[in-house]
Amino acid sequence: MEKKGYVGIIVLLAAVFAVIFFSVNDSYYRRVLQLQGLEEEAGEACDYHFTMIVDNAESSFWRAAYESGSQAAQENKVLLELKGTGPDTRYDKIDYMNISIASQVDGIIVENNGEEGLAEKIDEAVEAGIPVVTVMSDASYSKRQSFVGVSDYQLGQAYAEQAALYADEDVKDILIVMNRLTDEKSQSQFYSQVYNAVSGKSDGTGQQVNVSIQNLLLIGSFDAEEAIRDIFQRKAGPPDMLICMDEETTECARQALIDYNMAGGVRIIGCYASDNTVDAITKGLIKTTCSIDTKQLGSRSVEALLDYKKEGRVNSYYNVDIHFVDEEEAAMLQRRRHNEKISLE
Amino acid sequence: MKKFRWNKLSFSSKMVFQVGVIAALFFAVSTAFYLRLNKFMGNLDSVYSSNVDITLLSDTLKEVQDNMYLYLKVKSSDSLKNYYQSEAKYRELLGNLNDQTVHSASLLLEKNIRKMSETYLTDTADTVSAKRARNVEKYKKKYEESLELYRYISSEITSLNNQLFINNNKRYEALREMLRYLETSNSILMLVIVACALIFITMTSRSTVRPLTNMANTARLVGEGNFHVKMPDVESEDELGTVTRAFNTMVESLDDYMRQTQEGMRQHQKMVERELLMETHLKEAQLKFLQSQINPHFLFNSLNAGVQLAMIEDADQTGIFLEKMADFFRYNVKKGQEDATLAEELEAVDNYVYILNVRFTGDIHVTKEVDESLYDLRMPSMILQPLVENAVNHGIRDIDWEGQIRLSVEKKEDHVEIIVQDNGKGMSSEQIDAVLKGEGQQSAEQRDSTGVGMNNVIKRMELYYQQENPVRIISEGENKGTSVILSIPFREE
Repeated sequence: MEKKGYVGIIVLLAAVFAVIFFSVNDSYYRRVLQLQGLEEEAGEACDYHFTMIVDNAESSFWRAAYESGSQAAQENKVLLELKGTGPDTRYDKIDYMNISIASQVDGIIVENNGEEGLAEKIDEAVEAGIPVVTVMSDASYSKRQSFVGVSDYQLGQAYAEQAALYADEDVKDILIVMNRLTDEKSQSQFYSQVYNAVSGKSDGTGQQVNVSIQNLLLIGSFDAEEAIRDIFQRKAGPPDMLICMDEETTECARQALIDYNMAGGVRIIGCYASDNTVDAITKGLIKTTCSIDTKQLGSRSVEALLDYKKEGRVNSYYNVDIHFVDEEEAAMLQRRRHNEKISLE
Repeated sequence: MKKFRWNKLSFSSKMVFQVGVIAALFFAVSTAFYLRLNKFMGNLDSVYSSNVDITLLSDTLKEVQDNMYLYLKVKSSDSLKNYYQSEAKYRELLGNLNDQTVHSASLLLEKNIRKMSETYLTDTADTVSAKRARNVEKYKKKYEESLELYRYISSEITSLNNQLFINNNKRYEALREMLRYLETSNSILMLVIVACALIFITMTSRSTVRPLTNMANTARLVGEGNFHVKMPDVESEDELGTVTRAFNTMVESLDDYMRQTQEGMRQHQKMVERELLMETHLKEAQLKFLQSQINPHFLFNSLNAGVQLAMIEDADQTGIFLEKMADFFRYNVKKGQEDATLAEELEAVDNYVYILNVRFTGDIHVTKEVDESLYDLRMPSMILQPLVENAVNHGIRDIDWEGQIRLSVEKKEDHVEIIVQDNGKGMSSEQIDAVLKGEGQQSAEQRDSTGVGMNNVIKRMELYYQQENPVRIISEGENKGTSVILSIPFREE
């Protein structure tokens, strides 16, 4: 019937319109929430919850390591949480260890710089059934399950080679700046490795090279910068070669070099190829920097914890590759990063 | 279940249905609006509820810590009871927090708070147990640990609260924006629904009201006198359908009635015309007669005077002749305006024949064979005499043999047949046709005629008896005589 058809069409049209209208409204509402970042997708629940506790979570070195670790974690249905000291937190690593233990996480990755009480906390976590992996600096005397990083010997050997490479005849004073608690044995081993390498080179010239180690052991936010400036303003003058063993010290040394206009006067061997450091190498301010493979560092630490969780045992040491970035490689690295940034934009 | 049929609905039901559909549409949309608005208002109200929950969690945590501290301090049963109550409440609140490891900052924070709180509650329970067991060293150590955890948890709860507050602020803003959007979009929806309702009403009412419009147009045409119009058939069985069908029936009836009336009027008109025509022919016969006779009254009064004079002079033959003449003309004058009986007509014929025989010295021989029972048969006057006159003038005059005229009146089954037969010159069929069609030529003999011609006789017969061909003429050819036959309808009383 004609009229019934009309009624049907009209009612159907109205209903279709109403459905479309309300779904558009809904999707609009969700879009508004999504634009404001409120409707986040929690996704599937993960099997494990690991915490990564480091000194400076904002540093590019640890961010890179965390990203790589996070990627490895996601592939294995693990959630990796980064916790670190920084300007916006009043917790130190001991606090983070306490929180992680109390939070009953499934694993802890911790950067051990030998802080007092950290080893005990590592032991406490292990006793509470939480496996602990130390990164970069080992706490071999603790109950940690594994260490991921570069061994002191390996590191000393690599730095010694670079020191010898850049120690020309003008280099008479070499200062090694450390910023971590380490035992005397390791420290003296490092010293002797550098000294032997440099001395071995200067044997032919009969030149006497003075090698010294300064361990800053700093905890405060601005202490490293002050300490480096002190070195540059020593009465005896700055050292001819400055070997920096961490990212922060390298950054401070680079800045001090510029501020005191000592480019060429102090040969800096840095640590970690941050953007600033790479830039400084291309400009000749820094001779070379030790690049630690942060991808390996992050992913291997997660894998070590996973191995332990699944197998119940794990290697006690995972090596991470290092190599030194010279001027040529720095220029290449800079170009590559520049291109990556452009493609990301 | 009975099938829904639109056509079966009454007019009022259709109206109720239309209004009902519109009302239902508006009701549905309004309800949807209301529910939606209600939901949004609920969302708006509950935007900060997560902050309220977290604050309650924080307060309860503080209660647990305070009650534990109070118990450790004074070891009263009240404080212990309070501790257990607050601990139970805190556990209940913890149940609402997420415990899954998921990629969401706030949910992960919830999980950490929940797990830390569980550890914390274990510590506080250990502390209280140690206190009850008076293990001073242990409860002090455990208290320190739980205090440290309490601070961590408080701090984490504050972080979560802040994070939620920031999120909730954004959500509140989003909802406000959404409400503004809803205002606009709802207005648009209402406009569309109103448009749909208008289309729906227009479509349904058009089909309902169409019969009314048709009826108005048809009624106007009927009013103008057109009864052949008919409204299109309607399937609808409502009041309008009934009225439409009744209207069609009424128009048909009107048409029939008008046709019958027109037919009656036509018949009446025809009758009037016939009477007028008959009168005209009669008048024509009389006129012709009067023209020839100028004054018949003077004539037959004079003839009467002649009769009396002949009687005085004993001239009987002349007297009889004059009397017959007077009778003949009197009959003509008298019966000119009415019909006559067969006897009167026969008498007129006799008078005429007598007059002719006096004139032509008895040469006219007329024989009559008449059924006497028919003497009273009424018929138009002045019919037989003209026929006899024709037989004399056109039949037997100027023939070499003796002329005979035979007049017979016979009763047939349903009519009376009057035959005037002569043995004179006869007629060709062309002549017969011409006479029957009224095309006969007035010949020289007309001057000697009484003035009433054959044509006049035929017309008056047709008009009087209302039948065609009341007169037949039969002749077998030249010199074989002619028969003129009149058929008069007759019905025995």
